[in-house]
Amino acid sequence: MKLTDCELRKGDMRSAYGNALVELGKRNNDIVCVGADTTDSIKTKKFGDQFPERFFNIGIAEANLVSIAAGFAIAGKTAFASTYAAFLPGRCLDQIRNAICYPSLDVKLVVSHAGLTVGPDGASHQQIEDLSIMRSIPNMRVLAPADSVSVFRIIKNIADIPGPFYVRLARPSSEIIYDDSDSEFQIGKANILQDGSDITIIGCGLMVYKAFKTAKILKEKFHISARIIDSYSIKPLDSDLVIKAGKETGAIITVEEHNIIGGLGSAVAEVCSESHPCFIKRVGVRDTFGESARDSELNILLEHYGLTEKEIERAVLSTIDKLKK
Amino acid sequence: MIFHMRYLDLKRKIQEIRINAIEGIAEAGSGHPGASFSAAEIMGVLYFRELRHDPSNPTWAGRDYFINSKGHSAPGYYATLAVAGYFPKYEMKDLRKFGSRLQGHPVRYSKLLERHSVPGVEYSGGSEGIGLSVSIGIALANHIDNKDNNVYVLLGDGETNEGQVWEAAMTAPKFKLDNIIAILDRNKIQQDGFTEDIMPLDPVRDKWVAFNWNVIEINGHKVEQIMDALNKASEVKDKPTIIIANTVKGNGIKHMANNPQWHGRAPHNLHIPLLIEELEGEILIAPSIIAGEKENYEEKIKKVERGGADIIHLDVMDGIFVPNITFLADTIKKLRPITNIPFDAHLMIEKPYEHIDEYINAGCDIITVHAETCDNEKFCYIREKVMSAGISLGIAINPETELPEWAYSYLNDIDVIIVMSVNPGFSGQKFIPDITSKISNLNRTLKVKGYKGYIEADGGIDASTVQRVYDAGARIMVAGSAVFSNSDINTAILQLKHKTNVTLERNLLKKADENSIRKDWIVARKHILIPVANELGIEDEINRL
Repeated sequence: MKLTDCELRKGDMRSAYGNALVELGKRNNDIVCVGADTTDSIKTKKFGDQFPERFFNIGIAEANLVSIAAGFAIAGKTAFASTYAAFLPGRCLDQIRNAICYPSLDVKLVVSHAGLTVGPDGASHQQIEDLSIMRSIPNMRVLAPADSVSVFRIIKNIADIPGPFYVRLARPSSEIIYDDSDSEFQIGKANILQDGSDITIIGCGLMVYKAFKTAKILKEKFHISARIIDSYSIKPLDSDLVIKAGKETGAIITVEEHNIIGGLGSAVAEVCSESHPCFIKRVGVRDTFGESARDSELNILLEHYGLTEKEIERAVLSTIDKLKK
Repeated sequence: MIFHMRYLDLKRKIQEIRINAIEGIAEAGSGHPGASFSAAEIMGVLYFRELRHDPSNPTWAGRDYFINSKGHSAPGYYATLAVAGYFPKYEMKDLRKFGSRLQGHPVRYSKLLERHSVPGVEYSGGSEGIGLSVSIGIALANHIDNKDNNVYVLLGDGETNEGQVWEAAMTAPKFKLDNIIAILDRNKIQQDGFTEDIMPLDPVRDKWVAFNWNVIEINGHKVEQIMDALNKASEVKDKPTIIIANTVKGNGIKHMANNPQWHGRAPHNLHIPLLIEELEGEILIAPSIIAGEKENYEEKIKKVERGGADIIHLDVMDGIFVPNITFLADTIKKLRPITNIPFDAHLMIEKPYEHIDEYINAGCDIITVHAETCDNEKFCYIREKVMSAGISLGIAINPETELPEWAYSYLNDIDVIIVMSVNPGFSGQKFIPDITSKISNLNRTLKVKGYKGYIEADGGIDASTVQRVYDAGARIMVAGSAVFSNSDINTAILQLKHKTNVTLERNLLKKADENSIRKDWIVARKHILIPVANELGIEDEINRL
């Protein structure tokens, strides 16, 4: 896979999602899209403009949203249901569990505004439990792409794979990591963005870029060779790759814009502890609610909740230190 | 409205649903008899008369969808699917057991879940309040594809406490979904008690009207009303329909009926033979409109409809086969629009095979011809015509006539055998006592031969004779003078039902004795037995318990 020079280009995950949907809509008449009064924001409206007969805005009613999507799937459609992450898994867990996952219906739940980076809306809109909730439902697959290129690719991939998916997108425009042309995103796989031998950093979502950037600092300042993994597929997890990394580098740092309970860190710890126990340190929101911050204050917000390159660096150094003793 | 519903066959199938459901629940030791029984007629009409479906090809693209949103009516739903042929009826004994395909709440059938689901189940119920939204998704999908498949969704009334139901209620009219027909099983009981105590729903009709639905309110235990409502729903354009079916939870078993204790409780296995006897013991009262005062037939039909008649008996007499003349097919045709209560046309005419089309087209629901007017060939011709029109087929025998040999080869197709207990021709005649043993002998013979239809007693049936013919096995009672001589028809009908009911209770007690469960049975049925304790002579016994 080719990586871009991250500093140069930014992309918006929501637009990538909207564009992918339009492409899917063109080649497959059975793709439908259901929204809940956030279609403009989440960019599914693009699909609606092109295919009004396959686009349904059902208002502020998330339980209804996901259940209608289940109905579409029963009638043979592939349904994309979208709104903000705060309201989807949180508000309609029962419907997702019983109406979609139990019968394993072809419904793709794609949400945006995941994590803390939602702008000034505050904790009510900051979804930091979704990976944990969605991961624990049988038949559900959980994805957290790192940039707009992977979002575009992943949305197109999952449209062809029957059964339920949960895909979380972030709100801000973010650095593009992957080259458009030949990057691969198989479900159940992870991508090694940079090889390394001293330690492994596994990230998902927006935190992948931060991990990637931290790796450069580690190399330059401390001569630490860090292996960087983008684990966009949180369930199924690429356990072979994770276990191998644990074996070869001795320790793993996980980084996620999510509560440290139940998300990527937990998933990694689960597979390692059963196969090849190694030291694991989780970087994430430390089991607390977030708060408002203007877009210009995003860095202060992330710093306060420990989601920065500095925090990753600290985790790496303390881990290496611990292992030396 | 002409329904082509083969009324009596439908009634029997619904009885079969209840029997299979209650057997399964008893065997499982848990389940929801109340909800299964309140919706038995609704499910029966849907699966045996309304839905386009194919049990041998459950995922047929042309099928209508049935979404059982109130998942706890599972035993009744499974029983319906079993009777319809989706899976073998004997599997009902596995209900709710480990490793069974009949999970506590039905699971959408798929290859992935075939160990836990049966073909035909479209939707995994159990969590309330979701099914209407799911139905909207299916309906929208069919809309996109220009398919005319309908979606029928059964809602529980307690279920509509869920806010999501009202999200969905807002949504369906937005998209003008006239391909959704919701049916509300309005049995007024939920797990903790009566709906109006737990969370009042009334005025339920106004609520759905306010949400911009087409609302039809019916008695959900009258198959003809369900048929009629479904027909009307299919004619409405650009609007979803909800049928508010007023039902009785546990309907069919008296001590379970309208009793919150039976929302989710299983009867003891030893009670099952008694419960089956009760279910099979349901009687239908068929007032004959030629009886009583000489007022016009329209008036009489309206009167018996208000009075709670199950069927309307039409004595067609041509003045040749019988000395009297009453009316012929053209009159029936004129009377048909007045009511949707089934018309039971008893053709006392000389050559029924020559006129059979007239009666089929007149809108009869049951057509009975006299054995004396037919031979094998003629009856076969009539049978073909009547059955292919979706009408129940009957054969009648005069007091002196035995059921002819040739008739036995059609027992699978005959829905009713009318045994005349007077000589046909005039109303107001006296019951011929010997007929009781004739009915009971015939009943025994027919049972051995596997006959599933009804025996109908016609002539001189009143409060003094009805118990005898009931005991002998008749389950449809033609009532003429007995009904019309009373100023209040409803009272007269209830009196006849009360009489047969006492007989039933006596027989059930006898059966309870045979199964050594007398005390247990009386305790379970105490509130039903107290009002008839005097007639049964068990007052002291009940007081002691």
